[in-house]
Amino acid sequence: MSRLDRTRTSAHQLRPFFSSQNLLNRADGSAQFDFGESSVMCSVIGPAEVKLRDEKLDKATLEVVVRPLVGLPGIKDKAREQAIRETLEPLVLSGLHPRTGIQIVVQTMKDDGSILATAFNATILALLDAGIPLKSILGAVTCIVDSETNQILLDPTTQELANAKSTHTFVFDNKSSITSSPENKDQEEAVEVATLYSDSTGLFSEEEYFECAQICYKAVQAVHGFIRTAVQKKLEKEQQQIHS
Amino acid sequence: MTSITMEEESKLLIVLPGDQLPESGLMEDSSAAHRLTLGPGLAPMDDDSITAVKAGILKHNAVGNRWWVESNQRRYVAAQGESIIGVVTGKSAEHYKVDIGASQPALLGVLAFEGATKRNKPNHNIGDLLYCRVSMANKDMEAELECMNPTTGKADGFGELKGGFVIKISLGLARRLLDPKNLVLRLLGQHIPFEMAVGTNGKVWVNSASAQHTILICNAIRNSEYLNSAECGSMVKSLVEKM
Repeated sequence: MSRLDRTRTSAHQLRPFFSSQNLLNRADGSAQFDFGESSVMCSVIGPAEVKLRDEKLDKATLEVVVRPLVGLPGIKDKAREQAIRETLEPLVLSGLHPRTGIQIVVQTMKDDGSILATAFNATILALLDAGIPLKSILGAVTCIVDSETNQILLDPTTQELANAKSTHTFVFDNKSSITSSPENKDQEEAVEVATLYSDSTGLFSEEEYFECAQICYKAVQAVHGFIRTAVQKKLEKEQQQIHS
Repeated sequence: MTSITMEEESKLLIVLPGDQLPESGLMEDSSAAHRLTLGPGLAPMDDDSITAVKAGILKHNAVGNRWWVESNQRRYVAAQGESIIGVVTGKSAEHYKVDIGASQPALLGVLAFEGATKRNKPNHNIGDLLYCRVSMANKDMEAELECMNPTTGKADGFGELKGGFVIKISLGLARRLLDPKNLVLRLLGQHIPFEMAVGTNGKVWVNSASAQHTILICNAIRNSEYLNSAECGSMVKSLVEKM
């Protein structure tokens, strides 16, 4: 089989990751995350002062602003804001910072498909950079069911998305565990996942949905590993003078 | 869910939010032998585990079985006992309002200075720089400051900082500057005489004989954050040579 994206040979292959942290010097935390040619930058300011009408007595108020690649923000961006905010609200330990505000701004820098997943990953890296207390990290990935071949393709480009029968974005935390029987390595038990966010569009069956979830779950482990490596490199650089 | 294993004590153990401390009956046994003290970056969760809530280096002190995560951020969260640099932004009959870089300005009592009485109290203006101690801080209220050592009642270095220049750095770099063996400060001190005050809220005040020297020192401090010892040495050398 061959994907429309010629740089990849396998249906379950992700595009190369790239990330950068602490790039903006006026934000408390910032990060950029790339899935191949899709790039999103995120900035975090907080815990900071918040307007009295938005103040919550026992928690921090989370505000998410999504800015598109071109033009003014529209309904799609508002939907993304809600998705990011509702996924992050249970994850952020906002009880530690009552009566404050945490403002997250997400800006698309380059768009080649899977923007929401890229935005989620950039956001979590920025939150880690800002030192906002979190219950766990998250990782996101998109997949499609191709309309011609019915194959599940991971991390689609814009070209591949145009040919999709259904598109699915999944976000998982790093606390779920996968159970696999050691006897039959080929057959894995049903995954017991805690999905933080799931968004699907198009026509698909129940089996297709759960198969997509499984495939995306495995791919998100690679995203988690990448986030860990990125944070590790940054911390090692900071500690060089003491520990070298 | 990642359980951390403490194998090599010398390697930096990096944790992310969601990583749990090794289970060994930590929560059930509340006898003195198994009692834990949790510092910043760790929190007990609903499932009775102790989880990291910040990305950083997991540290452990056998004395008192203390565990904490050393993390870095730019935004300051007030904690009692810390020495910080603040800017006066407002004045009332009883308090000064001081911006310390946290989510809300802190309050400094008008009489919280050495030897201050109602008749004889210091007069500070908006914009003055003060080196203070956090006397009270909790998540629900504005922090309170004082410009004296609470046990002795003496100033002990707290008070107004006159002249000089303030830069904003990350909290982790500020903590490293407080280390007496800090490399960049030692190297700078070999070439330029200067005085400095470090606030754990990420603000550093530097004062020297000329503005040029002051700016050089501030730039050197800012640059030193991600450099190793050798790079730091050559960075200071190249800055000093240009002077």
